Amino acid sequence: MTRAKRKRFPYITFTLLFIGSIIWIYPYFWLLFSSFKPTSEIYTRFWPTKFTIEHYKFIFLMSDKLQRPFLRALLNSIFISVSITFSVIVSSAFFGYILSKVRFKGRKSVFNFILFQMLFPGFMFIVPLFVLIKTLGLLNTYSAIILPSIISAWGSFMFAQTFKSIPDDYIEAAKIDGANTFWIVTRVMFPLARSTASIVGLFTFIGAWDNFMWPLIVMKDYNKMPLSVLLASFNHEYSSYVGPILAGSVIQTIPMVLIFLIFRKYFLQGISVSLK
Amino acid sequence: MASKLRKRENYLGWGFSSIYLIYTAIFWGYPFVWLVILSFSKWNFFGSPRLVGFKNFVRLFSDPIFWRIFLNTVNFMVYFIPMVLTLSMLFALALYRVSIFRTFFALSFLVANVSSGVAYSILFSNLFSESGPINSFLYKSFGFTIPWFSDPQLALLSISIMVTWKFVGYYGLILFAGLNAIPKSLYEAAELDGATNWQKFWKITFPLINPALTTVLVFAVNLTFGIFTEPYMITGGGPMRRTLTFMMHIYTTAFQRMNPSYAASLAVITGLLSYGCVLLVRFLVEREVSLV
Repeated sequence: MTRAKRKRFPYITFTLLFIGSIIWIYPYFWLLFSSFKPTSEIYTRFWPTKFTIEHYKFIFLMSDKLQRPFLRALLNSIFISVSITFSVIVSSAFFGYILSKVRFKGRKSVFNFILFQMLFPGFMFIVPLFVLIKTLGLLNTYSAIILPSIISAWGSFMFAQTFKSIPDDYIEAAKIDGANTFWIVTRVMFPLARSTASIVGLFTFIGAWDNFMWPLIVMKDYNKMPLSVLLASFNHEYSSYVGPILAGSVIQTIPMVLIFLIFRKYFLQGISVSLK
Repeated sequence: MASKLRKRENYLGWGFSSIYLIYTAIFWGYPFVWLVILSFSKWNFFGSPRLVGFKNFVRLFSDPIFWRIFLNTVNFMVYFIPMVLTLSMLFALALYRVSIFRTFFALSFLVANVSSGVAYSILFSNLFSESGPINSFLYKSFGFTIPWFSDPQLALLSISIMVTWKFVGYYGLILFAGLNAIPKSLYEAAELDGATNWQKFWKITFPLINPALTTVLVFAVNLTFGIFTEPYMITGGGPMRRTLTFMMHIYTTAFQRMNPSYAASLAVITGLLSYGCVLLVRFLVEREVSLV
C-alpha cells in the first residue's frame, strides 16, 4: 500500500512546479522580446508583428552622440570584472595554501583575523573607503573600482577550507621532486581545487559585474563607467527611450546568465546542492 | 635540518601573510579607523574633522527620517520574509517530490538570482508600470489597475515582490539541500506508524531542516539592510519616503548632502542593527539538531 502510494507520479506537484517556473522565467522572456519589438508594441503585445534590431542599433551607434558610450561601457565592465575575478582567484589560492598547509607561528591568528573580517558587512565602509580613494587621488579611475576588491577574505577562506582536506603527501611528493611554492600552488593544489576556484570565480564575477553602488559613487566619467552605472544614468535621463533601455538591460543581463548557465554545476555546488 | 625547514615555513608564511595584512590595513583597517573617527565628529569632506562626541547619534535618534527608515525596514521584513520563506519552502518541497525535470525547474527559478540589480529594476519598473503588461492584463480581465510603485502603501510591497522573485530559487535550493540531508528511513518509520503527510512535515521535516532555515533567515535579514539598487532605480525613496532604506539614506547623506560624518554614524547604527537582528533570529529560530 505505502509502496504503491510512493511510486505514484505527483501530477499536481509537477504541474504547479511547471506553472511556477513559467511565471519565474516570464520576466526574462518579456525583457528579451521587448528589446526586439517596435516601440509601439512594447507594452501592447507579447508576440510582436515583426522583430527589429533598431534598439540595439540605437544603443551601440547613436548613444555615443548622447554621450552614453554603451559599447565602451560594456568593455569597461568586462575589463573590471575579469581583472577582479582573476586576481581574487590567484591571490585566494595562495593565501589559502599558506593558511592551510604552511606551518608558521601565528597562522591561527591570521586565520581568525580573516574570520573576524567577514563579520562586518561591506556597506559599513562605503563612506570611509571613498575618503581613502579620494585621498589617494584615484577618483574616476579604474583603480577606484578594482583595487578595493582584488583580495578577498571569503575567497581565501574558501580555498583554505578546501586545501585542508587535501593530504599532505601530494605536497611532500612535489617537494621531493624539487618543486617550489609557486609550482606547488599552481600545478599541484590548484587543479585539485577546481570546483572551489569555479565557485569563488563565479560569485566574484557576478558580484563585480552587478556592483552598482560603489562605481556609482567613485566614477563620474562616462567613458570609464561600467555598464550598470551607465545604464542607470541613461534610464534616469532618457527614460522615454524605453526600447533602447530594455536592450541595454538585456546586454547587462546576458553575460551573467551565460556564465551562470555554463558554470551552473559549480553554482549549485556553491549552495551545496546536487541534482543527481 | 628540521629547524631550518621550520624557519623557511615561517618566512614563507609571514611573507604571504604580510601581503594580505598590508593590503587589509590599507583597504579595510584605514577605513575602519576613519569610520569610527567620522561617526564621532563633524566633517564635510574639507578640512579636518572636529570631534563632537555622541552628537551625531543623539541627532540620529531624534531624526524622524531615521525612524521612518526603521519602520520601512521592519515593514519590508514583514512583507518579504514570510513571502520568500513560504514560496521557497514550497519550491523545495515540490522539487523534492518531483524526480524528473529537476534541473530544468531548479535552473528556471535560480536564473532569476543572477539578474543584475540595475537591469531587473528596469525590467520590473516596466512590467509593473501604469500601462505595463501586468496592469493591462489586470485591466482587460478584471477592469482595474494597480499603482504598484506610486502608491505609498504598495510601493514597498512591490519591491518585496521583486526581491522575492530574485531569491526564491536561491533560498529554495538551500532548503532543498537541507531536505536531502534528512535520512529517508525516518519517513519510512513514520509511515509504518501511520503518520499523515501533515504530521510528517511538522514532526520530521520542519525540525530537521532547522540549519538550512536559519541560514536562509540570516541571509534574508542581511539582504534587508543592504537594499539600495531597487529603490534608487525605481522609486528614489518615495512616495512619501516609504521606500527609503538605510543604504539610500547613507548614500544621499554622504554624497548629495555632503555630510559624511553623519552618514558614518548612520552606517555604524545600521551595522549594529543588522547584527542585532541576525543574533535575534539565531536566538529565536536556531535549535540544536541531533539524530539519535
